Amino acid sequence: MQKDWIYVGLTSLFELFWIFGFNVANAWWHWIIIVSLIALDFHFLSKACENLPTGTVYATFAGVGTIGTTLMDIFIFDGEFNAIKGIFMFILVLGVIGLNLSDNPSKDPVEKKGAHA
Amino acid sequence: MGWFLVLLAAISEIIGVVGLRFYSQEKTIRNLLIYVGGFGMSFVLLYASFNYLQLSIAYVVWIGIGTVGAVLVNIIFFGESKNLTRIISIIAIIIGVAGLKAIS
Repeated sequence: MQKDWIYVGLTSLFELFWIFGFNVANAWWHWIIIVSLIALDFHFLSKACENLPTGTVYATFAGVGTIGTTLMDIFIFDGEFNAIKGIFMFILVLGVIGLNLSDNPSKDPVEKKGAHA
Repeated sequence: MGWFLVLLAAISEIIGVVGLRFYSQEKTIRNLLIYVGGFGMSFVLLYASFNYLQLSIAYVVWIGIGTVGAVLVNIIFFGESKNLTRIISIIAIIIGVAGLKAIS
């Protein structure tokens, strides 16, 4: 169980790495690194989905991705951010999480608890 | 232009998800191509959209449309349930996307 959540963490983290890469790549060999990161990311994703419900994994992935890209925008790429933008993004992410969790209405309680951790 | 690219990226992602579904059921070259091609195209289009849109906006809209699309495809073509939670969640995503589009 613990190991499965490590894979969820890794897939979310590597996703942020390649999105960051998309924004900073400016030489051909950068793309070799980025494509490797994507491949590795998909490997962790499939590992995470082996024992956890796909919906839960995807919901976590989407939540971390949104928070991560927002922070990147603000702190690395000097993007502007305001409360209204934040509220619409929050509503959207709630929808994504709701959709993914409704795919698996009754899983065992351990997984449910994990989903909220 | 940026919004159009994100929309195309999300549609490609849906094709990738459908391909993944086919491929996990039947491991054929055709299904693998739909799966890998769909996701590959999706990444290329998402990358292109970053030239026009703020990173976090493009990302969240891509995730949102992709998820709604995948769920709608599953409901319409694969007979999955359409319960209240799913309908409310889809409405929330539409509000989020429309709101972000309106303010940016």
